[in-house]
Amino acid sequence: MPAPDVNSEDYYKVLGVDRTASDSEIAKAYKKLALKYHPDKNPENKEKAEEDFKKITEAYEVLHDGDKRKNYDQFGKAGIQGGPGGGPGGGVSFAEADEIFKAFFG
Amino acid sequence: MQPASEEKSYAVGIDLGTTYSCVGVYKDGEVQIIANDQGNRTTPSYVAWTEQERLLGDAAKNQVASNPTNTVFDAKRLIGRRFDDPIVQADLKLWPFKVVSDGTKDDKPLIEIFYQGVAKKFHPEEISSMILTKMKQTAEAYLGHRVREAVITVPAYFNDAQRQATKDAGEIAGLRVLRIVNEPTAAAIAYGLDKSTSAQKETHILVFDMGGGTFDVSVLAIQESVFEVKATAGDPHLGGEDFDNRILSHCIADFRRKYQSDPTRNQRAVRRLRTQCERAKRLLSTQTSVTIEVDSLHEGNDFSIRLSRAKFEELCLDYFKKAMEPVEQCLKDSNLPQKAISDIVMVGGSTRIPKVQELIKAFFHGKELCKSINPDEAVAYGAAVQAAIVSGHGSEEVQNMLLLDVAPLSLGIETAGGMMQVLIERNSTVSTSKSQDFTTFEDYQDHVDISVYEGERAMVKDNNFLGKFTLKDIPKSLRGVPKIQVTFTIDTNGILQVSAEDAKSNKKSEIQIANEKGRLTQNDIQKMLQEAEKYKGEDEISKGDMLAKEELKVYFQRFDKGIQDLDASKLQEQDRERLEKKLADAYHWLEHDGLKAGKPEFEAKQKELQAVMNTETWTFAGHLHSALYRNDWEWRAALLVCREF
Repeated sequence: MPAPDVNSEDYYKVLGVDRTASDSEIAKAYKKLALKYHPDKNPENKEKAEEDFKKITEAYEVLHDGDKRKNYDQFGKAGIQGGPGGGPGGGVSFAEADEIFKAFFG
Repeated sequence: MQPASEEKSYAVGIDLGTTYSCVGVYKDGEVQIIANDQGNRTTPSYVAWTEQERLLGDAAKNQVASNPTNTVFDAKRLIGRRFDDPIVQADLKLWPFKVVSDGTKDDKPLIEIFYQGVAKKFHPEEISSMILTKMKQTAEAYLGHRVREAVITVPAYFNDAQRQATKDAGEIAGLRVLRIVNEPTAAAIAYGLDKSTSAQKETHILVFDMGGGTFDVSVLAIQESVFEVKATAGDPHLGGEDFDNRILSHCIADFRRKYQSDPTRNQRAVRRLRTQCERAKRLLSTQTSVTIEVDSLHEGNDFSIRLSRAKFEELCLDYFKKAMEPVEQCLKDSNLPQKAISDIVMVGGSTRIPKVQELIKAFFHGKELCKSINPDEAVAYGAAVQAAIVSGHGSEEVQNMLLLDVAPLSLGIETAGGMMQVLIERNSTVSTSKSQDFTTFEDYQDHVDISVYEGERAMVKDNNFLGKFTLKDIPKSLRGVPKIQVTFTIDTNGILQVSAEDAKSNKKSEIQIANEKGRLTQNDIQKMLQEAEKYKGEDEISKGDMLAKEELKVYFQRFDKGIQDLDASKLQEQDRERLEKKLADAYHWLEHDGLKAGKPEFEAKQKELQAVMNTETWTFAGHLHSALYRNDWEWRAALLVCREF
């Protein structure tokens, strides 16, 4: 298993898991990293820890969700545009979501 | 005091409940739930003002029937809400104390009471801060040290404004709020520590937390020492008080039928009846029927009614059924089948109700419920552990624990056509930040307004408005060209910050949402802190008054005893009469003028009496000496008696 790299653009590398990793392996890897990077565990270096924690959480939220992981595997980060939150609430598809992202407000 | 000892300060965990509060501290490797000065491990969340003083906790609740309009409770049902909120409007019909609007555009509710002949108005945050102060003092009395830091719990389903307002209440009480923690999450820690989970395997638990006023359900994954909240759902306005109200309405209807008279405008009657209804509800958890009795309830009529458990269940069944919806929602959100839940943890006083237990058990196909933790104390217990984790005071076991909580509601902005564009989905692990790019709607548009909402509906009008800000001076270009990045950040307290940045000009604009809507400003908080300090002063003054008064009473008693101890041979009848007259006058003063007097008056009275006594007793002692002078020993004894005066 590769060593986790919090700065990687690849979610699998962020968590340090294989692309074939099972759900429970992903969960375990994330929790180990959470213990390391959570701001509560780094009181003297809170801001950096917070940044790193957000990165591992972003990776986990995608890889821990079956659908999001599938999209990520196929299309990379573009497949889950709008962040790991995925499509907007109300069950809008990715195509529609993309429309909305480009929509206007004023 | 030694400097080292002065530095030693503890961080406590406080469960600030709708009806009761509880405080715990992590000390010497374990959690202590701290009893208050009445010996109770939970303290009523009540504040009252009498003619003379402010009362907190048990003292306030105990006098509620005789002082209903100046006894305040349920501040948690007001905190972070607007006056025109339909929930507030419905609640205030049931409260004996007065709630008014502050008259500003924020429409904040204010609680109005009468104290020493003057109407005083308080924000719900201030009432909560008084209860927090009481909990803080309880902890300080136990620890023998000052308490400056605390973790305070809120219902998981509390929104942004309610969280922020609770944090403010802590600040007004002079506490540094280390963290706002969700109640079911805190309870899960109590459960997890209890279980001492060394399990490598991930286990899932469901926490069903139903207290006096709020209801939460959370699903957590526990693996080794990491507690990860998977989903949370609930109703911030459902709990034991709603059941009390149903019984109360039932009783009032019965009274009307029996006597053709309406007791609802008689605040004292309603309060007395409510107390008995609450008692009946508690008893019905262990017995199958109960009698509710109040002598001379209204217009001299006694009231008595028999209430069966079945009738109680019938009265509240819609509430109980409603409580199952968040359970279903929570399981769905956590993507877990029912059978994945290994334990159902019951927390909060209302989970003692057999029907509630029965329904949830049925929902999980007869699975046994976990009742190993104390439903009244589990939340404070977990908060105390979290306080130790965050402040770095805990043992190794505690230091290795980690809590990963979630944001309970989706957060987003308004886009074209009043649509809600979600940036942070509900149940996202905090802290988190999410960004999205947006653009302009019209050609040459030089500013955009960004309106922020929370909620799950597709249209913003159906969600809860949090705040609005404007990004200005966007370089002019055709519509759709500018790239504006909006970023949402939620901190570990679940409190939101939003910023917007134009990529081309690097112009940035941001708000901390909670600062915007209905929230107290830093100035308000400072003012309230001073007010609270003044109250502390007033409390101390009234305590000083009481002490001086007690001292004076003791002086009277000793004086009286001194006279009685001398028989007629030692104290002539005329002297005795004169002394007794002085004493009677002094008693008279105490019972009349003394009611309004303070410490200086009591002390002056004591001095005045002492002065009189000194001249009196010297004559009396001299008299004794010349008349008796049988021996020196007796003379000395007489003098001693005089000094005793």
